[in-house]
Amino acid sequence: MIRPDTISTRPEAAFVLLLMQSVCWLIAGIAAAPFALGGELFMAGLAVATLLLALCTCLAGIGIVWRRRRARRIAIALEVVCPAGAAIGLLLPIGANSGPVSLLVNVALPIAVIVLLRKDRREAFS
Amino acid sequence: MFSINPGHAVGLLAGLIAVPAALVVLRRNRAWRAAPGTHQAAAVLMLVTAAVHLALIGHHLHEHPLTSALFLANGVLFIVLALSTGWRYWRLASSTMLVATIAGYVIYVVAGLEGPDQVGLATKLVELTALGLVLVPVRGERRPSFRRTRWVALGVALPALFVSMSASLWIVDLVRPDARHVHAGAVLQATNALPTQAQWDAANQLYRETKAAIAPFTDWRAAWAAGYRPGGSQTMPSTHWMNQRYVDAGYVMDPRHPQGLVYANSKHGPVLLGAMFQMKRIGEFGPDPGGPATAWHQHENICFTPLGFEFSLLTPTATCPLGAISISAPPMLHVWIVDNPGGPFAIDIDPKVVKAIDQA
Repeated sequence: MIRPDTISTRPEAAFVLLLMQSVCWLIAGIAAAPFALGGELFMAGLAVATLLLALCTCLAGIGIVWRRRRARRIAIALEVVCPAGAAIGLLLPIGANSGPVSLLVNVALPIAVIVLLRKDRREAFS
Repeated sequence: MFSINPGHAVGLLAGLIAVPAALVVLRRNRAWRAAPGTHQAAAVLMLVTAAVHLALIGHHLHEHPLTSALFLANGVLFIVLALSTGWRYWRLASSTMLVATIAGYVIYVVAGLEGPDQVGLATKLVELTALGLVLVPVRGERRPSFRRTRWVALGVALPALFVSMSASLWIVDLVRPDARHVHAGAVLQATNALPTQAQWDAANQLYRETKAAIAPFTDWRAAWAAGYRPGGSQTMPSTHWMNQRYVDAGYVMDPRHPQGLVYANSKHGPVLLGAMFQMKRIGEFGPDPGGPATAWHQHENICFTPLGFEFSLLTPTATCPLGAISISAPPMLHVWIVDNPGGPFAIDIDPKVVKAIDQA
């Protein structure tokens, strides 16, 4: 047990969410690969870019556990883009998936990370 | 996988209601108030999953009483665990329970006892997150036991569980689609089971008229002159050529104005395979004179990238590759003028046909 009024566990919680998001990107990257093998050349590039994003997200999460200020900034920037992109997809009449899983992964999770990484007087990022 | 089983909707509602209710209940619990923030959050998520399982008992009670009993046990145990965050073995018991619940769901889906749907997937995501929050070591723990093991579990076992769960559910969904999901991402128009003679006659008439109308486009230059343009990569075996003017005009199954033409990308140049009618809006299926013989289909939950106009599939976690967005295409109907084993109105052209054309 810890004394919750003295030490914040927000960075660890944010790490867990970033790890979850990183695995989501990992699955998306792996899933795009067969289409590249089927002749979709650009999909190969997107698969690699997605896997790199998964790695970057995971590293940002590790940096946050280590209380690195830069990792916090990168994670917040990443998480601001995610719901913004999801909102555009949901607002345009393109039939984007708007099921509970999509809302959880693309909207709720990034917002939760941003909330967890907001300025906290108990938390010292270096 | 991307729809909600109507019988499971109550579970989704219960899960949503459980979030504020859990916060109200847990705030009164002394052990929860003294627990680290990660454990507090895990307890809230466990109450959410408990609510989902308890709400689904009624749906399964008559046909699968064992499932209902498991849901009851699951719900009660998660409530007990959420209320006992101060217990010495709480972390071990919670992680065991969460892993068992996730594994149980995957076994149920793989065994065909349950179909993967949005409520099930969302609940598993909540449980995986709760598992991560239970395992993650935090600073200043009074009982910092097995920290290294927990980091390994978090960094290796949790992602492995997540990936294997997603892969299993996805494979099951692709291998055992329901009657209206003919192939990955395509939903078939609801029709009668077998075509009547009148429907066969109407289908044949549509085929004859379309074949005659698109005959001039055997020469791709004529199609180009008429406003058709390749709508995707020409490195693929075949490409849809779309006429934006006809798409915007909203012609409905007009053989003289098909919205698309399909060409095989052979070594001799584009070879006409057939036409494609497309409706203007998502979810609006077109007229169906041939009944099941001319059923329209709609591609849902596909990932589209403007880079090369390429497609892939949305993952079970509703994620697209970077640079691609989730879209659904309006309903479409193909008319194949070459011999296609699946028939002249099949959703897809047989790859062997395209290969044979290329080698001819």
